[in-house]
Amino acid sequence: MDKKKAFDDTEPGPAPSRAVDRFGFIKPEQSNSPDGIPKGKSIHEREREERRIRKWRKMIGVGGSDWKHYVRRNPHVVKRRIRKGIPDCLRGLVWQLISGSRDLLLMNPGVYETLVIYETSASELEIIRDISRTFPSHIFFQQRHGPGQRSLYNILKAYSVYDRDVGYVQGMGFIAGLLLLYMSEEDAFWLLVALLKGAVHAPMEGLYQAGLPLVQQYLSQFEKLVIELMPKLGQHFVEEMINPSMYASQWFITVFTYSFPFHLTLRVWDVFLYEGIKVVFQVGLALLRFCHDDLVKLPFEKLLHSLRNFPEEATDPDVLLPLAFSFKVSTRLEELHKEYQNPGAGTSETSSSKRLQPLIAKTMSRVGSRVVSNLTAVSNLTADRK
Amino acid sequence: MAANAGNKIRNAKLVLLGDVGAGKSSLVLRFVKGQFVEFQESTIGAAFFSQTLAVNDETVKFEIWDTAGQERYHSLAPMYYRGAAAAIVVYDITNPASFTRAKKWVQELQAQGNPNTIVALAGNKADMLDARQVPAEEAKTYAQENGLFFMETSAKSAINVNDIFYEIAKRLLQGQQAPSPQAGMVLNQRPNERMVSSSSCCS
Repeated sequence: MDKKKAFDDTEPGPAPSRAVDRFGFIKPEQSNSPDGIPKGKSIHEREREERRIRKWRKMIGVGGSDWKHYVRRNPHVVKRRIRKGIPDCLRGLVWQLISGSRDLLLMNPGVYETLVIYETSASELEIIRDISRTFPSHIFFQQRHGPGQRSLYNILKAYSVYDRDVGYVQGMGFIAGLLLLYMSEEDAFWLLVALLKGAVHAPMEGLYQAGLPLVQQYLSQFEKLVIELMPKLGQHFVEEMINPSMYASQWFITVFTYSFPFHLTLRVWDVFLYEGIKVVFQVGLALLRFCHDDLVKLPFEKLLHSLRNFPEEATDPDVLLPLAFSFKVSTRLEELHKEYQNPGAGTSETSSSKRLQPLIAKTMSRVGSRVVSNLTAVSNLTADRK
Repeated sequence: MAANAGNKIRNAKLVLLGDVGAGKSSLVLRFVKGQFVEFQESTIGAAFFSQTLAVNDETVKFEIWDTAGQERYHSLAPMYYRGAAAAIVVYDITNPASFTRAKKWVQELQAQGNPNTIVALAGNKADMLDARQVPAEEAKTYAQENGLFFMETSAKSAINVNDIFYEIAKRLLQGQQAPSPQAGMVLNQRPNERMVSSSSCCS
């Protein structure tokens, strides 16, 4: 199948002009779906929002110049503010600062261009086949060969060249697509690199490597957390033969960018980029907790349906996120990770000493030393490829 | 297509396998909801649907697992085809590579799956005859040699979509009456739900 035909497969009709929500998604015909933002903000709310943006601007400095300094001095303030949500107008910039991608970009001038223009990828056809199937209801990605689709293609192709072992994997497109709504193509590429290669947090490329090792690990950890924290529901899942792979694999593979309320995706991403994958577990647990009393009564089929279609009240970030943060899972995740890597070894006795480790690691990454050392590793990786 | 309330309902797990973009999700969506979208979002992980189908005076309730097509997701597939009463292996008649991939799925099902699983081969996008690259004869011969039943389908124009599911349902029920009662049939393992929803989905 040649390139031209691949595109013909996905020939769109004339784009209908329809109403879009505040994020650019075309509203469903019978539009009663909220976009998460109450209509007609009061003057009071608008003033509060403006004060919040001013605070954020001060914290960031011009073009991000004060950011590192501020984070070093006030990591808890930053964490608290991020959990409340990054102002949408600053989101793209802040995401680049907290993910470490800005540093990658500065350390690798011209690399992205080379990857896009001069390299060829074995995944090109696969990427093309998926381009019009990524956020098909978003105006930016709807137009065939339009700027959205072209940027999406470029990023995915560039990454498939940058890491030829991983190449292109379905699911990456939704992450790249989300990023493209908030930053330029090159910025989005480096943020993808920062995540998958682990600039600040543990690398996530295992989500996409052969055998999906990290997906398997996360699902195993998640399953155990459910059993431990919600035993009744965990038992119900076992009885109904529901496996987390049936409902949660996409949560991890796409970090809640796939088939999930967009306003909530953004708030999850604010926290995810700063605090790491832990929040995906927490949000997953919070969704189950919120619907717990219904879920435990449902038989297999209805259960599956409910696990893919959470009620609107459950997806309000200001309700769900506080519930999510109430799950203290860092230590347990570490332990479950070790158990997963080394099945059979006991864990309960050693948990107190391990409890300190995530804390230290977290503090380190906040003060930036880990950021720098990991970034050097990533940039070396890039240099090797030239 | 709707189920008649009152008669016996047989649950049957069905899995769709096939290459990226062959039209697995579109086939299910056409069958379950009667809809077609030109730009069906890629399936990540797997999606579950159900639909009931009346065959004579019996009713089959399909529990359908629609899987992600990309090779990299292969490791997730066994969970969905294991214990399946039926599988539809889908390829795109305009894409020879997808036919090659379909054959690999058939081999895998024959090697790893339940020998009683009813396997259907669907040559999808049959509305795009001008772009055809996989001759129907070739697929038909392959299907005969491998004991599959074969249909060309179009999720877009609805050609043969209900028919392929109907044929599977018929064969499931025939298998049920055959001497081996286990043949490809997953009996209701869970307490039966009293209400039969005509369709539901959770993609």
